[in-house]
Amino acid sequence: MNVQFKKGVLELCVLVMLDKKDRYGYELVQKISSQIEISEGSIYPILRRLTNEEYFTTYLRESTEGPSRKYYRLTDKGRTYLYELITEWNEFASGVNQLIKEGVNNDEG
Amino acid sequence: MTKDKFLQQLEAELKRLSPVERADILLDYEEHFLFGLEEGKSEEAIAGALGSPSQIAKEILAGYHVKRASANLSAESVIRAAWAVIGLSFFNLVIVLGPALGVAGVILAGWAVSLTFLASPLLVVVEWLFYPDGFMLFDLFVSIGMCGIGILLGMVMLYVTKALKKALIGYLKYNVSLVKGGLRHDN
Repeated sequence: MNVQFKKGVLELCVLVMLDKKDRYGYELVQKISSQIEISEGSIYPILRRLTNEEYFTTYLRESTEGPSRKYYRLTDKGRTYLYELITEWNEFASGVNQLIKEGVNNDEG
Repeated sequence: MTKDKFLQQLEAELKRLSPVERADILLDYEEHFLFGLEEGKSEEAIAGALGSPSQIAKEILAGYHVKRASANLSAESVIRAAWAVIGLSFFNLVIVLGPALGVAGVILAGWAVSLTFLASPLLVVVEWLFYPDGFMLFDLFVSIGMCGIGILLGMVMLYVTKALKKALIGYLKYNVSLVKGGLRHDN
C-alpha cells in the first residue's frame, strides 16, 4: 500500500481509538498492528506529530506492573479533526466501493 | 537486532534534534520494548516488528521539518528574509535602476513625440489664425502626415507600455517571492 496513504489512514485509526477513552502508546500500537500490517515503529511518530498539533494531550500514569504508561487523551480540537477525517474517509470509501461495484459488473457483463 | 542496538541506531539518526526532544522520543521506544518484554516477546521480535530505526527516524524528522516550516518565524528565517531584502535593494539600486530609468525615459519620449505629431494640425490652424495670408497648403499636408505617424506611434507605444508594465509587475512579484522565500525556506 502507498506509504502516504497508509499514514493518513493510520492517523484516522489512532484518533478514532482515542475517541471514547484514553489509551497508552503500546496499547494503541498493538491494537492497530493486530488489524493492519504495518511497522509498529511508525505509530509513535504519528502520535508525536498529532500531539504537537494539539490533537492530543499526554499524561503519565503509574501501573501496578511494568513501566509507567504514557496515556494519550483526545482534545476538542482533535475530536473536531477526527470527525472531519471520518466524513472524508466515508466519502472516499463509498466512492471506491461504487467504482469497484461498477468495474466488477462490467467484467461480468 | 537487540534493544540496545535499536535504540543506539535511532539515537544516532536523530542527532539533528535537540537533546530533550531526542530523549523524549527514545523513551517512547524504550517503553515499547519494556512492554513487549513483559508480554514474553524477545528483543529481536520486538525490534523486527518496529521496523528499521532509520525509517522511523525519517518519519520523525519529516514531521519535525513541517512543524518548523509552518512555524515560519524562527529567528533564522527572519534573518534570511532581512538579508534577502538588503541584497535585493542593493541589486535593484545598482543594476536594475539605471536601465529601468533609461527605458522609462525612452517611453516618455515616445509618448511626447506621438502626442506632438498628433497635435500638429492644430498648430497649422494656430498659424493660420495669426498669418491668414500665408501659403499653408504645404504646411497642412505635412501636418496631416505627421498626425498619421503620431497615431501609429501612439499605438506602438500603447503596446510597449503594456508589455513593460507587465514586466515590471512580474519583477516586483519576483522580489516579493524572494523575500517570502527567505521567510519560508528552511533547509
